[in-house]
Amino acid sequence: MQTSRARLFKEYKEVQREKAADPDIQLVCDDSNIFKWTALIKGPSETPYEGGVFQLAFSVPEQYPLQPPQVRFLTKIFHPNVHFKTGEICLDILKNAWSPAWTLQSVCRAIIALMAHPEPDSPLNCDSGTLFKAIFCALGTSEAINLWRECILGLLPHQRKVDLCRLSIRW
Amino acid sequence: MVSDSISANASIPSATKDFGKKKRANRSAKLKQCKLDARREQWLSQGVAKNKGIKEEPAGPRGSPPLPGKGSERKHLLEKLEMRRRDEDENGSIHHDFDSDSPSNSPTGSSVLGGSVSGTNFTGSSSSSSSSSSSGGCCSGSITEDDEDNCLDDWEAVADALAADDENKQGNCHDDNSPCLESGLETHRDREPVVRLDSHCEALKRSLPNSAPMRVAPANSRAWRPDDECRPQSLPNLAKQRSLPNADRHCGQGGFQWDYPSAGAVNGPSSCPVCTEDLDFTDASFLPCSCRFQVCLFCYKKMLELDGRCPNCRKLYEHVPAEVEVEVEASVHGGSLTLKLPRSYSMIARS
Repeated sequence: MQTSRARLFKEYKEVQREKAADPDIQLVCDDSNIFKWTALIKGPSETPYEGGVFQLAFSVPEQYPLQPPQVRFLTKIFHPNVHFKTGEICLDILKNAWSPAWTLQSVCRAIIALMAHPEPDSPLNCDSGTLFKAIFCALGTSEAINLWRECILGLLPHQRKVDLCRLSIRW
Repeated sequence: MVSDSISANASIPSATKDFGKKKRANRSAKLKQCKLDARREQWLSQGVAKNKGIKEEPAGPRGSPPLPGKGSERKHLLEKLEMRRRDEDENGSIHHDFDSDSPSNSPTGSSVLGGSVSGTNFTGSSSSSSSSSSSGGCCSGSITEDDEDNCLDDWEAVADALAADDENKQGNCHDDNSPCLESGLETHRDREPVVRLDSHCEALKRSLPNSAPMRVAPANSRAWRPDDECRPQSLPNLAKQRSLPNADRHCGQGGFQWDYPSAGAVNGPSSCPVCTEDLDFTDASFLPCSCRFQVCLFCYKKMLELDGRCPNCRKLYEHVPAEVEVEVEASVHGGSLTLKLPRSYSMIARS
């Protein structure tokens, strides 16, 4: 309990001191509860998420840093490794690969990396995973990226998505 | 100084008589007085030298025979004092120097001052063979290089002189856990570790080329007091440390200014990355993983319980962690500062 508080307090000070260090991440601690944090992360450049700002909610356990914080997207995001409804994130470092050396800041960075590089083989959003695989299997890279962007932004017609999935299955 | 104390004793009985008249009826007051006397005696025995200027201070019924109804503690003290005086007569100046100069020789050597004095001079290590209360004397012997050449002769001479008295003294030994504090025996012990410690010091000098210079104390052959002028600045102030345990724990940055050539303390983090507690000496020189990722011993234990992997590189911790390449490991334990020359595993045992 005391350790987690001390650790979070240190991270808080670190965040305050290095606000300008990472412009893509803005970590804010809850006013009344140091175990609740929110983060605003910018979608990584050269991905469909570029230009978007995504809100994350952190819930830090008392055993932190021996146990990982619970993180979920508050902003709706179409991503193979994020549950579309709950915003739950499937990321190894938030589960079994957690290390006490990680911080909330580094978790944010890991999530940004996950947005840039989805892992469709362990999807939380099966549709997204299937679609992602379908698109990137069926098409050339540049075309797939464009298509994927349209997918994520909701610009792709439903019928096209179904077609893509069928295509990949037939493949 | 012998004459000083004796003259002080001479004035005592009258003083106590007057005092006793007033308080005769009041038993509790009498008890109080007893305690006071006992304390005074302790104090006197601590610093005979200090008493030079305070002759008029009533020194308690030191010269008078023990009165009936007084505490056994007091009896002990009186006996001790009697012993002391006899020793003074017999051993003369050799013993007397030590008795008066090192405050930690007294039975109440656990005082903070005594502890810190002996601690700051790195002589606690000698207490492995000698009693802890005589560490002050040991250190003075070790640092005074003038004594080096003659110490063996002195030691033998003193030992010879003492051999005859030993039987008398054995009878007066209390059942304390600590060894007898008879001053004569102390002298004996004071001298003994000199040779051994000197070699330690030499090794220390060699292993710490840039460290605090081991200045030779002037001929008074005593340890540096915290407020001593000739005391090197770089010596850590243990008394201060003890009162503020967390204030000076930034190793290698503030309180301590030792140069550890290869210790992680110089370049490594000042606090544990996991629990954010400041790393102390032991922690700072503790490298549990080959990736040089440092955690404090407390967190290291937690890691072992968790999955036994380094938080940084996720490699399994080896059972015996890669020992630090610290030339000298210093650890403060109960006021005595222990120096251990290369590669000791005591650190692990302590964790």
